[in-house]
Amino acid sequence: MNSLLAQFLAEAADLLALVDAGLLELERAPGDPDLVNEVFRAAHTLKGSSGLFDFPELTRLTHAVEDLLDAVRAGELPLDSGMTDDLLAAFDLIRGWLAYVTGNECLPATAGADAATLIGRLRAPIGGEPVPAETRLGSAWPDLAPSWLAVFDQEWLAETAAWLRTTSARMRFARYVPDSGCFFRAEDPLHLIRQVPALARLDVLEPARWPAAEDYDEYACLVSFVFAARAGAGEIGYLFRYVNDQIEVADLDGDTIQRFLTGPAETAVEISKPGPEMTGEARAVLAAALRGLSANPTGGPHLISVAGAITQAARALGDPVEIREPDVVTLTATVTRLLADAPPPAENPVAENPVAENPVAENPVEVGGRILKVDQAKVDHLMELAGELTVAKNGLAFLAEGADKEFGRRIKDQHAGLHRIAEDLQAAVMDIRMLPLSVAFARFPRLVRDLSRRLGKSVELVLTGEETMADKDVIEALADPLVHLVRNSLDHGVETVGERLASGKPGTARIALAAAADGDAVVVEISDDGRGVDPARVRRKAYEKGLISEAELETLSDADAVDLVFRPGFSTAEQISDLSGRGVGMDAVRAGVQKLGGAVTMCSQLGGGTTVRLRLPLSMAVTQVLVISVAGQRFGIPVDLVVETVRVPVAEMGRVLHQDVVVLRGEVVPVTDLARALDMPWQPDPAEDRAILIVTVAGQRMGLLVERFHREVDVLLKPMEGLLAYADEFAGTALLGDGLVLLVLNMEEVLGLAARVG
Amino acid sequence: MTETQPLVLVVDDAATVRMYHCTMLSEAGFRVREAANGLEAVEAALGAAFDLFVVDVNMPRMDGYTCVETLRSEVGTPAPVVMISTEERPGDADRAYAAGANLYLVKPVPPERLVRIARLFTAGRGVPA
Repeated sequence: MNSLLAQFLAEAADLLALVDAGLLELERAPGDPDLVNEVFRAAHTLKGSSGLFDFPELTRLTHAVEDLLDAVRAGELPLDSGMTDDLLAAFDLIRGWLAYVTGNECLPATAGADAATLIGRLRAPIGGEPVPAETRLGSAWPDLAPSWLAVFDQEWLAETAAWLRTTSARMRFARYVPDSGCFFRAEDPLHLIRQVPALARLDVLEPARWPAAEDYDEYACLVSFVFAARAGAGEIGYLFRYVNDQIEVADLDGDTIQRFLTGPAETAVEISKPGPEMTGEARAVLAAALRGLSANPTGGPHLISVAGAITQAARALGDPVEIREPDVVTLTATVTRLLADAPPPAENPVAENPVAENPVAENPVEVGGRILKVDQAKVDHLMELAGELTVAKNGLAFLAEGADKEFGRRIKDQHAGLHRIAEDLQAAVMDIRMLPLSVAFARFPRLVRDLSRRLGKSVELVLTGEETMADKDVIEALADPLVHLVRNSLDHGVETVGERLASGKPGTARIALAAAADGDAVVVEISDDGRGVDPARVRRKAYEKGLISEAELETLSDADAVDLVFRPGFSTAEQISDLSGRGVGMDAVRAGVQKLGGAVTMCSQLGGGTTVRLRLPLSMAVTQVLVISVAGQRFGIPVDLVVETVRVPVAEMGRVLHQDVVVLRGEVVPVTDLARALDMPWQPDPAEDRAILIVTVAGQRMGLLVERFHREVDVLLKPMEGLLAYADEFAGTALLGDGLVLLVLNMEEVLGLAARVG
Repeated sequence: MTETQPLVLVVDDAATVRMYHCTMLSEAGFRVREAANGLEAVEAALGAAFDLFVVDVNMPRMDGYTCVETLRSEVGTPAPVVMISTEERPGDADRAYAAGANLYLVKPVPPERLVRIARLFTAGRGVPA
């Protein structure tokens, strides 16, 4: 449920409680003016708020209640017990509706019929239905049918118009033209559209002409939407509040649509310079000023305010005026002249399709040289084949083991040659898929600019190392964590200008995005010079949330405390704002990065800023795993986690409390029994040395008791599918050279599992 | 928010409407304060210099007309006032303009329109366009 509706329901519950008490009091003290007024107020407020949503029956019913009580209040009508009964029935009905709204976010289907009977009874003493105001004075918001209504299916439109006319209802029609660069501002048009409440019709508009394949920019949004919804204009406006410059909403009744369908074709309207909507508002303000002047304000603040309004309207019209000493006569003359010169009120013109002239961002990789553009699927396929080749050549190694000595040696030679070629091929294909990080960074200048403005902060964004290359999958996968981290910095890290100046920092904050290659990995750092993370606060919060024990509260180092923000469940509700509270928490960032075989670390200095460091493999295509076995079953463990393999005599295994440990070069390393962690039946042979694999997981050195070590292999890791996708303890599966399927372990999860199993 | 951004007082007795208007305006970059009736509004205006008032008509304790009149005569503020009424009855607009309002609108006011009007009235006072 959106927060506005939740607010409305809470407010309505309070008002209904007030009404209950008031009506009961009224039975005891009939006609008490204060009580009547109180109930009238509640009905009025309820009506006002309900108008923001598509609850026309609720609005009509509360209107009827309000009118009846207004008459009583004015002394035109004594309140009798029959009326009180009707009022009670009306509020009971509203209470029932609101309960339904709580669950369904719309009024029940019977609302119209139920309301009609009661409205009839409530209105009977005051002379039936009110005459609707014939014109909406002072309103420069004509609900004209916009020309894009023509985009809807005309048959459906005609049906809808007829239906709206019989029920004298209205419907909201909207056109949403997402900015072609919207993806770079973390806007998600599809997601927004899906959230439109009570959607009646949706059409997706393609550009008049799709760009040719070689000019096609997948990061530009080329489609737009028109939709019709029963949701209130307020609800739609609220939903689209971040993109309110990209949406037009028209609240139309059946007659207007009918006129649109049968009427003469709309003539094109010339676009005026200051923006047609602003011109409309300026005219409205000038007309209002004229009426204000006709009330003859005699000097003082009122007259000055009218003069101010005229100045501002003139400015908006691009026709600034200077008013020295305002008096009614000169002001009236000025307004009359401005109104005469201003362009006539125009219906919102339909903008030219903005897609056509949108420049397609040139990919820096492709600047200069001879470029061959190929379908991405072809490259992906080539990549897959290169991967399969790498895996298939591993089969030769198995073959060599089974063959006699001389033949085995020759197979091994062949394997070595094939291995080199396969590796070169893989590197070559991977190189095709490499993109510079500038692709991932491109959205941030705009994002930071927009968000910092919205937050009223001053921020300078510094990008470095944009030319660093990484696989396109890695770059794509970086997008969400980066957006989240930058939003976090903007929202929580960076202080307002005032706060910064007060603490002796320059008013403009600095957020830096830096990328650098580091061997087989790419490192991306997001740093700010904001307020930093307060370890004491994090510690306290983690303790309150039950994430750490009282002992840890005392002993945890500052660095470890800062790391707590990555724990699931830490996401600090009190910090949630519209910006960063929307998406995911830091735990999701870490999980996302780890899924790619990467790591996230954070260091922060209270008052000095925060740096988050993402380390990701340059490519996600081939993973090196160490094959081990336990209980006769083979598993793979990513090589980059492995520190060493050791064999320890049984006598040297130790035990500290309930934890098996091994002492390695003076360091005590906890040992986990992998068979137990995976719940597999296996007992180590008491006579044999223990095979222990030392791994580093989440910065901690751990031992894994296994049955046997095998070789290292390059595998093409495929994610688990179907039901197995929920088995988090596995990072994926890989096909081995001998045709066996290897399960590759997600060590983080397995060791978490071990801790839970105990 | 920096001190340079225009300060708007949203006056409405309906908490939902208040939240709605405040959300729209603050997301457009305005600094926003709220008041639940005319009396609260007058008190707020005595304590701070607002750049714009958005005032509901029908409110308990002190209604919108009296509120605007008081803002002009007692508080003495020449800041623009936009009055927003739930419905238009004959003569309401004239009453609003006589009281000292600079624009009288009838609900529902689309959010983009409210923001546009707020920008029009405060342009040149440091609000993001």
